[in-house]
Amino acid sequence: MSKSLSEKKDWTITRRDVLLAAAAGVAIGVSSWVIPKRYFRIPMQAPVFVAKVPRYQREIGDAITRGITELGVAGNEVRGKRILLKPNLVETNASAPHINTHPLVLRGAIEAFLQLGASTVMVAEGPGHRRDTLAVYEESGLADVLTEDHIRFHDVNYITGYELPNAGRQSSMRTLTFPSLFKEVDWIVSVAKMKTHHWAGVTLSMKNLFGVMPGLYYGWPKNVLHHAGIENSILDINATLKPHFAIVDGIIGMEGDGPIMGSPKQVGVLVMGRNFPAVDATCCRIMGIDPYKVSYLERADNWLGPIGDRSIEQRGETIASVQTNFELIGTIPAQQGIRLG
Amino acid sequence: MKSKFQESLSHRILPGGGFSGLPKGEFRVDATAWGILFLRAVGESSEFLELGRARLRTEQSDDGRVAVSRHHPDSYWPTPLAILAWQDSPASTDAQRRAVQFLLGVAGTHPPRKADDPVGHNTALKGWPWIAGTHSWVEPTALCLMALRAAGQGQHERVNEAFHMLLDRQLPHGGWNVGNTLVFGRELHPNPEATGAALAALAGATTRERVSQSIEYLQDEIDRLRTPVSLGWALWGLGSWNLWPSNGVALVERCLANQTRYGAYDTSVLCLLFLGALAGEVAEPIALPIPSNSGRSSPGGVH
Repeated sequence: MSKSLSEKKDWTITRRDVLLAAAAGVAIGVSSWVIPKRYFRIPMQAPVFVAKVPRYQREIGDAITRGITELGVAGNEVRGKRILLKPNLVETNASAPHINTHPLVLRGAIEAFLQLGASTVMVAEGPGHRRDTLAVYEESGLADVLTEDHIRFHDVNYITGYELPNAGRQSSMRTLTFPSLFKEVDWIVSVAKMKTHHWAGVTLSMKNLFGVMPGLYYGWPKNVLHHAGIENSILDINATLKPHFAIVDGIIGMEGDGPIMGSPKQVGVLVMGRNFPAVDATCCRIMGIDPYKVSYLERADNWLGPIGDRSIEQRGETIASVQTNFELIGTIPAQQGIRLG
Repeated sequence: MKSKFQESLSHRILPGGGFSGLPKGEFRVDATAWGILFLRAVGESSEFLELGRARLRTEQSDDGRVAVSRHHPDSYWPTPLAILAWQDSPASTDAQRRAVQFLLGVAGTHPPRKADDPVGHNTALKGWPWIAGTHSWVEPTALCLMALRAAGQGQHERVNEAFHMLLDRQLPHGGWNVGNTLVFGRELHPNPEATGAALAALAGATTRERVSQSIEYLQDEIDRLRTPVSLGWALWGLGSWNLWPSNGVALVERCLANQTRYGAYDTSVLCLLFLGALAGEVAEPIALPIPSNSGRSSPGGVH
């Protein structure tokens, strides 16, 4: 009896208890509203590798091999596998080769994956600015390299697609249509360019995947994705496709009015990793940009991957040793207020 | 040269009618429409043409659209190609009429232009989009204009507005790209395929003065073009203004030879290249949906 009385006493709720609980609830509610959501999640972790590569040279393959190895990719993950490399080919201009992923970075990636035992390496792209993919392929210099290396190039703009439910659910698109070629490969590797972007702030490994969506279904430009929201679409594509590896060509990037009208920016790095938000956040820091101020990266944080500096284990070169501020244009909203620090 | 095209395309003709995108490939709507334009241009028998046209009719939806596939009805950009493929086909009259009505009834999204708009063009002017629910762009608008004019709708208000839309999207220093002129105050780059398509669509509808810088851009570019989409549209565009280049045949030969480098060209672009080549030939104006005022005086052409 006394025990039950005691229990009863323990469970008696006083007016003071109610007020304290209410205050605590309000405090939690307010804090979750004021404090970013990332502080309420168990942080994800991911390593990113930064290699110093001062110029476009033949040794790029060695740097990529080292990066893949230091990121802990086991031999059996690549051996015998079919690897699809997706560069960033947008359009060409004789005075602006820094628009596109440099062909020697593609060659380096091809060499690295073949050296690690891949059975097949192919390159695939579906530019959004040009209907003539072959022209971009030729004029970017990539055709010379792939012809010499006997590597096949696929124009994914005209490949019929297969649908997947939209796993990201950030836009109103219920499904996403990817080129059927993707069902025949084991790894999808984004070989992006380090650039500022006038709509998205930056374009790196995640944004680069716009180019996998066939023009047959998304148009030229990929206007379906623009109407669905560029940031929403970046997140949806990455969440649904689940790409495997990212390499960002930051040897010479683009600053200012990217992705096509900006100026070349010498950085001298390749940035690599399995986790795309972590790779892109590292690129941002190298570019002097706060990844938490790039909206789609902030939204990806701790969902598709970590972007916090404490959650990313930097391997290879330190960010501080390669960091160089990219020019941001004050009149472009997506580039306003995103400077680091 | 004609025989080279015929040889390449003969491996893509499907037994039940229509074309595949590549040899031994599957039926594709746009490849079939382009293939019919090719067959018609080379004077293929009407029985053979009708098989392809009938196959295309089976792809038409009740509302008149002809999409990339029935599973992707929003991708209705092949509709103008189907209209051109059904031209002068009594069996396709109703299908063509419904496709025309569909195009005249759709326009995509065209928000009114804002004072601080970062894009330079007039967003309110209607042309046609590639995909439902998106903005109007240059190449689909050019194709729709050619198709609607061929189908006798040259005086329709939508056609008139689309001519204005195309001219509005012309870059200040000449040429067209997908359809953006200035973004955040910077003039973007032109490309040959969009410029050729726009010039082909505008021939007979505007003065040469209005497009002279674009013609000059294309003439400056033509010698370096090695790929079929760029070269096909560039030749078609210049041919529409009686400016088919004297070395056009050599350019087409070089482009065909580049298949050893790039692999076999897709049916659609191979047909486009052929029609671009044919745009330099005097004898076949009816084979192409090019406005009838375009005389042909340039040498060369398809042999």
